[in-house]
Amino acid sequence: MAKGRELLGRIKSTENTRKITRTLEMVATSKMKRAIDRVIAARPYASALSDVISRLYSPENAGAFPLLRQPEIEKRAAVILLTANRGLAGAFNSNLIKEARQLVARLDAAGTQVDLHVMGRKGIGYFKYIGRTMLVQRTDIGDKPTADDAASLVDGPMAAFAAGEVDAVYVVHSQFKSPVSSPAVTVRVLPVPPPAAGTAQKDYLLFPSAADILTTLLPAYVRNALYRALVETFAGFYSTQRTAMKNATDNAGEMITGLRRTYNRARQASITQEIAEIVGGAAALE
Amino acid sequence: MLRVSVISPEAVLFEGDASSVVAPAFDGEVGILTGHAAMVTTLGTGTLRLGDGQSFKVEGGFLQVDENTVRVVTEKASKV
Repeated sequence: MAKGRELLGRIKSTENTRKITRTLEMVATSKMKRAIDRVIAARPYASALSDVISRLYSPENAGAFPLLRQPEIEKRAAVILLTANRGLAGAFNSNLIKEARQLVARLDAAGTQVDLHVMGRKGIGYFKYIGRTMLVQRTDIGDKPTADDAASLVDGPMAAFAAGEVDAVYVVHSQFKSPVSSPAVTVRVLPVPPPAAGTAQKDYLLFPSAADILTTLLPAYVRNALYRALVETFAGFYSTQRTAMKNATDNAGEMITGLRRTYNRARQASITQEIAEIVGGAAALE
Repeated sequence: MLRVSVISPEAVLFEGDASSVVAPAFDGEVGILTGHAAMVTTLGTGTLRLGDGQSFKVEGGFLQVDENTVRVVTEKASKV
């Protein structure tokens, strides 16, 4: 029964693996729920902000705001890539990296200089591996991102854009559509797309003035775009990880069933053989 | 009664009725009662107080009044 013992060992080790993947699946499920709550909680702020911005915006005053400047050619662009610090989430990180790689290749081909801002160990690891310099590397943002984290990521590129050093800021992140779909997307956060003006321009009393209000709200709008990208990325990460771990658990289960079956068959075969030997031996004595 | 909502990037901190709102605008406190004209003003840093005694620390953002609906949209907010 040398084969049988070997099979038992494999069954045991697959069971241990399944225990780990199942635990990770449960952890990811609960973290995913909390991450989705954050995505939903972030919506009212974003809609209130864009509502007021589009009310105050008129095409005539667009020239006064550095963040609304629409450069015709992009000489230099900042790319902010959001990835996770950890793996075990299927193709989550590699999809994001692929999206970023395509964007960078497109910008390179157009002759645009690219400043890379990378969050997450996985993204940093890739760009280090291909030997590309990164302007900013961040691994300190955990799975509960705050508005301050978003601000710390985007304030640098935003200041550079306002100063005219950078002509566009892109964010590559995971868009959380549903727990089973969170594709990698590229969003251009700067220049701010001109809001659809003229939605029932009501007579508001404006303090200090429309221009001053917009000057303070536009940066908040950009920061919020990044905050939402952050929370969606984490929601996408945990939902992808949950799916990956669920598949791993299911596969382990199937493997164990198969191995058990093989083991039992081997056991039965050896018993049958022993009986046949005994019977044969007894028959030879007669 | 005013319909008031206090919104930060991370969450909606308050949503409900209040008899009055006192908010730290960029140039000093502003008080709002029912029937206030439609207004948008930027906020400074300070304490936002509602008529029923609740208060919030707010920082930046804006306040919008429109037909007895007050929206306080702030970059940082926490309940006091």
